[in-house]
Amino acid sequence: MSQRASLVAFIAAVIIQVLILVAVPARKVFTMATGKTVVLKVQPVDPYNILSGYYATLGFDISRVDAFPNVRGVSHGFSEGAWCYAVVEKGDDGTWKPVSLQHDLPDNLPDNRVALLGKLNHGVIRYEIEEFYIPEAQRHSIAEDLSRNVDKARVEVKVDRTGHAALQRLIIEDRIYE
Amino acid sequence: MTPNQNLSTKFRTALRNELPIWIQKGIVSEQTAKQLSNAYQLDNLKHESTRLLSAVIFTIGAVLLAGGVISFVAANWEAIPTPIKLALLFFALISFHAVGFWLWHTHNWRRLGHALIFCGCLVFGANIGLVAQIFHISSNWYRGFGAWALGSLVMAWAVRSWIIGVLALGTSFIWFIGFQSDHEQSASFYPLILAVSLLPLAWIIRSRVLYVGTLLGIITAACVLAGYQGSGRQLLLTIAAGGMFMWALGEVRRASEWCLEFANITEGFGLGLLAVAAYIWSFHDLWDSSVFGPMRSLWAFLFFSLSIAISLLAWRRAKRSQLLLTVGVLLVGGILCVSSLLSAASTNISDGEFLFTATTNLAALILAAVIIGVGLIYERRLAFWLGSLYLVLLILSRFLEYETSLLVKSAAFLACGVAVIVAGISYEKYLRRNAASIEGSKGEAGV
Repeated sequence: MSQRASLVAFIAAVIIQVLILVAVPARKVFTMATGKTVVLKVQPVDPYNILSGYYATLGFDISRVDAFPNVRGVSHGFSEGAWCYAVVEKGDDGTWKPVSLQHDLPDNLPDNRVALLGKLNHGVIRYEIEEFYIPEAQRHSIAEDLSRNVDKARVEVKVDRTGHAALQRLIIEDRIYE
Repeated sequence: MTPNQNLSTKFRTALRNELPIWIQKGIVSEQTAKQLSNAYQLDNLKHESTRLLSAVIFTIGAVLLAGGVISFVAANWEAIPTPIKLALLFFALISFHAVGFWLWHTHNWRRLGHALIFCGCLVFGANIGLVAQIFHISSNWYRGFGAWALGSLVMAWAVRSWIIGVLALGTSFIWFIGFQSDHEQSASFYPLILAVSLLPLAWIIRSRVLYVGTLLGIITAACVLAGYQGSGRQLLLTIAAGGMFMWALGEVRRASEWCLEFANITEGFGLGLLAVAAYIWSFHDLWDSSVFGPMRSLWAFLFFSLSIAISLLAWRRAKRSQLLLTVGVLLVGGILCVSSLLSAASTNISDGEFLFTATTNLAALILAAVIIGVGLIYERRLAFWLGSLYLVLLILSRFLEYETSLLVKSAAFLACGVAVIVAGISYEKYLRRNAASIEGSKGEAGV
């Protein structure tokens, strides 16, 4: 390869690496910029194993299929690995409650409702907001706070028009972790 | 003139040491010695060894430098606002690459530049993880490795680097392991993607490590795909067909003399795969307890068909002795593959249990003969000894497997020991006879 061709190939490779790095959080950034804020109540997943490396594993009301009244106790047709839309509604306490589980993205939802895109995985619905990164210095204090006050823990997420969600912060009583 | 790629540094060092003695004895003239020295670039040997050392030192230094920068940033990471964190990540990535390329092409510090670009690719992988942390991305873990593999692959092609190619191979394989558990059908194309993306690079830069690594990656991925539902017979079929395929690739290179430096190592790993497959399945219990599942061995059939086609291609140009070895390898691979397929077809494994164990043992014995044959025909000591040891291992394994009395076991150990020593002495005599006859024929030609 000539010197010029080497330079062009090298610059192209660096640009591709930069673009890949930009693409990694692109979806989350878009959701954070355009999405509606939703507060979800945290449910205990495994109180003895909250930390997985530097991540706290979170579960929510809407993680269980039977939390949705329209599919509770009936043959709902959501098989393992199926995509679904969880419609939630803003409650009086400020947290958002499960309303219905849908196969398709619902149209014309009122302002107090949003739909989150999820995937059925080993019997629970995952929304890609289940892992909260904890800084090393705060690892044990946050884990302890979370295991003691899991019933008071909430997460603030952004949900865009296509149902994609992005985790913003973890709130335990009045303590905010970002 | 560039020295022949097949000549090792060891040979050139020996030649450099011998030349003054040859001149002194009047075997070659000073003029001829100078021509030989120029032809094999003997004057460059000292610089080459220094360059290799410097490459190792530069790579270690660059990795430590990258580690130092990452640790420093990590120590203050929480105190840094998100935009600054992102800026630092991109700055580190571009800096490593830019300084590396600048040193490589502007100052001709090829090895240091290469080491820094390699570090840039490591930083790229670390950055993917850090960006995912900053934005609390909890997607499938393997996607990050997929992104890392893609970026590394592009850079490996851009700077024609074998080590970055190996990085792309490793990270893509980790991605494949995660991806295939979720997308079994789509993942079956992975061996093809590896072949298309990395084998041509290995040919262009003449990297044996990347070439053999990619072939082993292809065969291992095919094994993962075949054995995903836990069928041992599919693994046997895929490993055996993969071994045949590697042998055939090595043979066609030897016969066509194209990329000849890949021939020995490819054949060696092909024989190794066959040896592992034949040895493992030579045990009676393995056939007895083999887990059943549907046969999904598309890649194994492809390896098998390609091996036959490639061997036929090499057939016309190969010498008689090479043909014998190829027939032996195809026979071994064929026996293993047919045993695997027949066992899959039989409804009750106990019907053919003895037959399959016997045929696999027969294949292993033929293979031992082939490996010893490689040692004899190509005069490769390592092959001869490995073949002999493989044969001994087979015999001893059978003795230990079938609970023979201690006295018989001791006789077997003694017989094997004596046989190995006798074979070794005979082989060394054979090599000396060959060397003497070559010397003799040279002497006659001189007269």
